[in-house]
Amino acid sequence: MPGTRSNQEWLDALSNQGIQQEIALEELRRLLLRAALFTLVTHLADLHEMPEEERLALAEECAQEAMMTVLVRLGDFRGDSKFTTWAYKFGINIALSRARRWRWKQVSLDDLADDDGTLNWFQRDERLQTADSEQPVRQREVVEVIREVLRTQLTARQRQTLKLIAFDNVPMDVVVQRLDSNRNAVYKLLHDARLKIKQQLVRRGYDLAEVMDLFQ
Amino acid sequence: MVKTNLTKFVRRVHDTRDTEISCSVCLDLVSQYVDLEISTGDAAGKLPQVKQHLDQCQVCSEEYQVLRQLAVLEAEQRLPIDEELINQLKK
Repeated sequence: MPGTRSNQEWLDALSNQGIQQEIALEELRRLLLRAALFTLVTHLADLHEMPEEERLALAEECAQEAMMTVLVRLGDFRGDSKFTTWAYKFGINIALSRARRWRWKQVSLDDLADDDGTLNWFQRDERLQTADSEQPVRQREVVEVIREVLRTQLTARQRQTLKLIAFDNVPMDVVVQRLDSNRNAVYKLLHDARLKIKQQLVRRGYDLAEVMDLFQ
Repeated sequence: MVKTNLTKFVRRVHDTRDTEISCSVCLDLVSQYVDLEISTGDAAGKLPQVKQHLDQCQVCSEEYQVLRQLAVLEAEQRLPIDEELINQLKK
């Protein structure tokens, strides 16, 4: 039963040799399988075309991969959370990444590639209309500033990544895989883009709280 | 009102900080964040940089939500048994 061992008991059992370690490893394996199963069950929509026997195999693969991660990173555990919570997160991280990639594996991101440079994707489906006659005008001004930053201050790779994640709702894990990159690099790329837009709005005298109110 | 992608993006621009933690750091801290949330209810106050990242990063936020659900079930000793989960997975 998870939670019956203290953090120190987990560490001792997993670090020791012999039968106690074997018992702890089996307990950890079951715990991570539960995390993987739970994660996949909460995201069944991502797996709706996957045969049921493959779903169970996927859960077991995720648990196995998480087990290796936990054992490799055991020395990083500082005891500032329950050991089980710390271990679960690896199983969840791996299972959700795999589920997202499965769902998107048939989709070509090339079809979502930036178009002719007009940035029309940026405003599609938006409804900049309101009873307040001034608001649409001010919204359009802000949109133009953002569009200008996108066009002149972002690289093509930044623009493309931003489009895919923020406007096409492609999960970051999928973009990371297709770019052969990693989450930290892609997150930094998005952060840099957001920061440039924010700085440019401030530089041009916009009150950011008012800007946000315009789009609520 | 349904929030459009542009609306969500403008909010993210507004909430952008000069320095933000990476996804790796968030993964490192998220278990502490979840346990603080369950035990004290004030994880955002104690680890504001994690809250900020979760508000910006969709994939990390989804992982946090599943972790929180699982940790709450464990704390309440209501974890589902594997057979139940396997049956649900086959649906």
